[in-house]
Order: sequence, then structure tokens, then C-alpha cells
Amino acid sequence: MGKDKAETIFKKLAKAVVLGDTEVAEEGAQEALTEGISPYDAVIRGLAEGMKTVGEKYEQKEYFLPEMLLSADAMYAGLNILTPHIKSKDKMKGKIVLGVVEGDIHDIGKNIVKTMLTAAGYEVIDLGRDVPAAEFVKKAKAEGAQVIAMSTLMTPTLMSMKSVEDKLDHEGLKDKVKTIIGGGSVSEEWRDNIGSDAFGKDALEAVDKIKVLINSIMAAAEAMKKEEKRENSERHQD
Amino acid sequence: MKDTKIEVVFQPHGNRSEFPPGTTIMEAAKKLGVDISSLCGGKGTCGKCKVKVQEGTEGLNPPTERELKHLSQEELQSALRLACETKLTLPSIIFVPERSRIGRQRLQTEGLKVPIKPNPLARKYHVELQPPTLHDAKSDEDRLLQALDEKHGLSGLVVDYELVKNLPIILRDAGWNVSAAIFMNSIIAVESGDTTDRCFGFAVDVGSTKLAGFLMDLNTGKVVAVAARMNPQIPLGEDVLSRITYAMINGPSALNELHQAVVSGINEMIHECCNKANVKTEEIYDLSFVGNTAMQMLFLNLWPQYTALSPYPPVLRRGIDVPASKLGLHSHQRANAHYVPVIGGFVGSDSVADLMAVDMLHSKNFIMDIDIGTNTEIAIGNKDLTMIASCASGPAFEGMEVKYGMRASTGAIEKISIEPDTLETHFRTIEDAKPIGICGSGLIDAPAELLKAGVIDTTGRFSKKIAKETRRVRKTQQGWYEYIIAFKNESGIDTDITITQADIRELQKAKAAMRAGAEILLKRMSRTKDDITKLFVAGAFGNYIDPESARTIGMYPEVPLEKTQFVGNTAGTGSRMCLISKEMREYAEKISSSVRYYELAVDPDFQSEYIKATFLPHKDLNRQPIVAEMLRKLERTE
Repeated sequence: MGKDKAETIFKKLAKAVVLGDTEVAEEGAQEALTEGISPYDAVIRGLAEGMKTVGEKYEQKEYFLPEMLLSADAMYAGLNILTPHIKSKDKMKGKIVLGVVEGDIHDIGKNIVKTMLTAAGYEVIDLGRDVPAAEFVKKAKAEGAQVIAMSTLMTPTLMSMKSVEDKLDHEGLKDKVKTIIGGGSVSEEWRDNIGSDAFGKDALEAVDKIKVLINSIMAAAEAMKKEEKRENSERHQD
Repeated sequence: MKDTKIEVVFQPHGNRSEFPPGTTIMEAAKKLGVDISSLCGGKGTCGKCKVKVQEGTEGLNPPTERELKHLSQEELQSALRLACETKLTLPSIIFVPERSRIGRQRLQTEGLKVPIKPNPLARKYHVELQPPTLHDAKSDEDRLLQALDEKHGLSGLVVDYELVKNLPIILRDAGWNVSAAIFMNSIIAVESGDTTDRCFGFAVDVGSTKLAGFLMDLNTGKVVAVAARMNPQIPLGEDVLSRITYAMINGPSALNELHQAVVSGINEMIHECCNKANVKTEEIYDLSFVGNTAMQMLFLNLWPQYTALSPYPPVLRRGIDVPASKLGLHSHQRANAHYVPVIGGFVGSDSVADLMAVDMLHSKNFIMDIDIGTNTEIAIGNKDLTMIASCASGPAFEGMEVKYGMRASTGAIEKISIEPDTLETHFRTIEDAKPIGICGSGLIDAPAELLKAGVIDTTGRFSKKIAKETRRVRKTQQGWYEYIIAFKNESGIDTDITITQADIRELQKAKAAMRAGAEILLKRMSRTKDDITKLFVAGAFGNYIDPESARTIGMYPEVPLEKTQFVGNTAGTGSRMCLISKEMREYAEKISSSVRYYELAVDPDFQSEYIKATFLPHKDLNRQPIVAEMLRKLERTE
């Protein structure tokens, strides 16, 4: 019983996102709660699946900005209902601090990335636009974020990204906080130039690369914990 | 050893020279003056510099990541490479295919002619002086000044120090029969005899992409010669922001490099005009310049860094007079260079010039003026209040980011029409040459015609149904649709010329920006499109745009065609007006200080207006009743 019902609701949520139907997305979200389906599953297997399809259609130029935003609206509508019910341990997928760098105010692209990351289950702290380098680092530290994601459309503002890298380096945070950059004027070459950890050529690639970055940090953290445990038990044996 | 130079030959040009191994094909071409298209300025991002390596392939670096983005397997196998990414190490022969050549660019210099009374700031006066005697031994300078006062009523004049030094010799060599050239209240030249009919000035439109120069007779106020050039700064940065970044990263010497680049283009135009009109460069006493704020900074060597970053404050708003020699301009050694004031942000003197040409500030009626380019400026209002905003429409209308996009030059498809029922497609190219790409005006016709023919819908998406019904629609390598405008056998580049789904998306973005800007300004002025009594469309290729196509895709608010006037290069017109008239310089100052600059980026409605404007013609068809009606008739709306 439960499995079929769950599948139907997941499909309903996904379709609502693909069609940008806010009402149906909200309906589906409510149904999931009423039927006792895990709200986390409803997000990942319903809303996020829909957003994945939307991302692919956008990449194929079949969907354009209006469709993208409509779908995002539907997704956020569903999320608003489901997120309060998600247990905190489920939320531990990762935290990302996101923004458009200082000097630039073009944020449509950044908003699309935010949507895709939220759909993928990450917690996104959106600092908005024209964000000073110090603020990226300060917020990442305060929130314990694993990734700082920066965007810019213009060329003169590329230097702001370097400022963030320099600050992280200065504070010895380079292996605790990873960085990813993107935007109209950004390139793999620039990433290499300033030492960012990843470059995302579009929203889809950004999400994929962020997944990898966060996994590597979490794996490193796990490995360290294990190492500490082993050392502690060894010490106790003496 | 390793220092042996290698010989590189370019075909079909025939230019050849020796270069150190490791030189890129692009670098070699530049040194030889061989024209290879370089829309992105050599960064490897535009893919327009494809060349065929006929000899020396064994010595090339393997194709770079950037090259692989632009070259298909087939192309790589036929030794096609990107000139900017390929380094030569062996003697080589490089063939530059037709499609990668810049060719003769169509440089638009024509514009609205606005008749005004000449009242130049540089003028000449003839005097015959009485030589000094024992009863009249006043100084040479006083003698000259007194004569000018007595004969022409001129007082309060000063004589430039450099001129004073040679004054005694000039006066006596001329037999005391001289003409004085005066700029404002300063005597800048004293010449032998009556040379009052030889008083010239040079007006320039300093465009980011194209420079236009006008040699004018200051006595008559008439243009005596015209010239145009591509802006020589382009190799240092395709768009103004890249050029500013180049300066930011490399410092004042890079800014100076940019300054000298544009000055060299201007000097070339000066010489060309002087040759055409039989005028000496020393007979040019005043020059006027118009350009956007970025061009102002790069031309005048003003540090541009902070203007390029939010909140984009200009360095200098008011007009400025600089000795032309200080800027390296080839005119009289004491000639004056006047830079027309800017308005705010990146909205510069080209917009001031535009508003002068359409006389916005004297208009009782509510008018809209759109100056289309990589940046589009939109001004609306009348004598009581005028607001102006700038939108980044992007370079799609110049052909960048479009698969077969190109600048307007020989072989560019400039006009397209598609018959809705049969999909029979007609096009016209510049100089009727075989088509090698599509330029701005063609890129506006394309989505309009495709929409009317039902090949794309109002969201801009290709129709899957139509795709099945015609051989003109097929899938690209990347998996989305494209429409064949010119088949391989009709084209000059041995391949079909198409417009793709991705191209349509770029064009949607470009026109959405300017449409959103126009709609926001109307909103802020509490007006609607019905209040617009006249719509002026200015800009580089404005005169070539088909007004119906522009209306069909919703480039600007829907205004009846009778109320729309295309005014061409108004920046040039304004520059000429400022050159020959003191009143116009004052008017420019007034425009600069009273027009309200509006920052669209902080407007809360911009994003939603932008999204709505991506639709063709607009998401809200109530704003486009004429086009809506047409689409209904063709059964294109749901």
C-alpha cells in the first residue's frame, strides 16, 4: 500500500515542478504529510526529481528563464510546506554560502543555482548581491558551511573572488571550506588562476561539483574522527 | 638552435614574415595586418577565428579545451584550428577561410541632420597692423590685441605663452598682415595673410565598436569629409568591461595603451578626411568628442576601476576642454579637444548627443528614445522631466553568442523573410555577396519570421510538429533544433547557415533587457505606451532594422509605425552640433545635469519585467494588441 501511494505522490510533486504548477505542488506536499510519507523523501524523490528534469530541459534550451522561474516557484511552494517537518539529521546534507560578489548586482543566474541546490536538499545561505569578501568568509565560519559559492557576470568584479580566496588562505580555512565560482565572465582558467576549488559552467554543473566538494570535506572529517577515536583507544590501552 | 625564427605565410592574402617559434597564429596575423575575425579579442571564447593549417601541422600544440568546444571532429581532421589558441613551431602556411575574415565592415556614419546656426568657439579674424614707430612703440602683443579690438570688437583676449615666443617673427614675416585664430578668449595661432576661410574642426563619435569622424568647416557649419574606423581598442577587449578589466589588472600603462589605441584610430580618420578635403591638420583648431562613460575614461586616461563596480559612479560628469596635443591628437598644436558631458553610470555623452538630436528637453510632448547597441539606453519624457536608463542587451545583435552571427559586412544576411504556409525562405545579403553569416538586422528578422511562420511559439521554443514537416528544421549536434536559412549550396561558407534554438534564446535575452528597461521607465513615470507621441530609435544599426520585425518580437513598447522614427547615428550628429555651436555645448551641459539617471538594477520590478519580456513579443499580450491580432489571424496564439 504505502509504496504505491508514495510513488504516486512523488510523481505528482515532480510533475507539478516540471509544469510550474504551484497549487498542485502544495497539494502534493500536504498529501505527503497526511499520508505519513517522509517529508525528506517527498522533497528528494518528488520536488528535486522534477527540478532535475527542469534543469535538463533548460540545458537543452527547451525551457528558458520564465519556465525555470515558474518551476522554481512551484518547488519553493512545496518546500515551504515540507521543510518544517524535516528532522534536522536529514538536513545534514551540507551547507552552502552563496552570493554575487562585491561590485556586481546581476543575480538571476545565482538565483537559479540557489533553486537547484535547494532542490538537491542542501541548506543554502543566500547573501544576495554586491557581497564583500569578508562577509562570505564570516558567514561561512559562523554557519559551519562547507562551501562558498560565488557568482559574477562582469569582468571587473572577477577580482572580488580572489579576495575571498586570499582571506580563506589567510585564516587557514582552505581545507575546511571549499569554493566554487561561476558566472558569465568566469572560466576554468580563472579558477586555476585564483585557486578556487571548482568552476561550474552552469547551474547543473555547479550542483554536481558542489556535491563532490561537500562529500570530500565530509569524508575528510569522518576520517579525522576515526583517527582521533583510534588514537584515544590506543592511549587508553597503555 | 631554438632561436631560429620560422617563416609563416598567410593565404590567400600572401602576407608572410618570420616569427619566433611559439607564436600563435593570431599574433602572427596581427603583426602582418592579416584580417582574422576576433570578436572576443583572442580569448578563445568566440570561435570565430578558425583557420586551416596547410603546412606545419606537425609542429602544432594539441587542440586546447577551448578549441574542442568550437571545432568538430570533421573540422579538426581537416586541420582547422582556432588562430588564437594555436602555437606555431615549424614553417607554416595558414589559410584564412572566408568566414573567418573581417572583410569590409559596414560602418554606419549617417545620422539625423539637425540644422543649427554655426557659432563655433574657434574662429579666425583678419587684421592689418600698423608697424611700430617712435611715436607708437607699444608691444607686439598689445598691437595685435588692440587691432583685434578696434576692428572686430574683441576684448579680454590672452595670448598663449608658446605663441608669444614667436610672435615678433610671425608678425614681421607676414608684413603685419595676419589672421588670428581664437578659441574662447585665447589666441592660439597667428598666421600670415587672410586665412579666415580656413577654419576647421573635427567631430568624433567614439563608439565602443565603431569610430566615426567628421571634418567640418567651422565658418559654414558644413561637413567636408567623413571617415570611419573599427575601434582599435577591440583587440585589447571585445567589450568595454573587458578593456577596463585589462587596465585594472595591468595598471596605468595598460590604460595608456587603451588611450593610445583609440587616439591612433582617431588620427587615422583625421588624416583620411584631411586628404579627402585638401585640408591641413594644422587647420583643425577645435575637436569635439562624444562617447559613453567607459569610452570617456579610456580616451581621457581617467582611472576607470571604480566606475566599473557597483554603484558605478563616473569620474567626471561635466564637459571638459583639454589641449588636443596633450591627448596626442593630430591637429593644430594649440587646438582644443572638448569632451561632451556624460549623464550617469555608463550613460555617457553619446546619450546626451542623442537627446540633443531629438531635442527631448524642448519637447512639450511625451517621447521615448531608444539607442540600441551592446548597451541600450532608453530615455523617456519631455521638457518637464526626462529619465534615462541603461540596459545590457549584450552583444547578440552584433553577432556574438550566435552560431552564424557576424558583424554587418560583405556577405552578411541582413534581411530574412519566411512564407508562413510554405516556409519558403528568402534573404538578402550585404553587397549581394554569397551569405557567410547573419548580422544584427537579420537576427531581428529571424525570430520575427519564425514566430509568424509558427516554427517557434511565443515562448521562443521550436515546434516539434513543424520540425517533422519540413527539411529546414533539424537537430544540431548538441541536440536542439535549428532552422536552415541558407542551404549549403547557396552559402559562401560551404555549409548550411542556420538559426538555432540556442540563438533564439540569446536574442530573447537581448531584447528582453531593453524591453524591460522601457517598461520600467514607463511605470516609474506613471505612463503607458499610449502616452508615447513619438518613438525615436537610434544606434549603430537602427536604420537597418525592419520596424515590423522589431515590433513582432517586442523589442520596445508597441507604438504605431507612423509614430516611429529611425534616426541612425545620433551620437555623430550631437558631436557635430557641439563642435560648431557654443549654444549646443551649453545645451549639452543642461541635458547632462537635468536628465535623471535611473539605475534599473535596483528596481524591484526589473526581474519580473525582464522575464515577461523574454516572451515573443511579450508575456502580456495586452501590451501588444497589434501583434496579438496578427498572431491570432495566423492562429499562432493558444
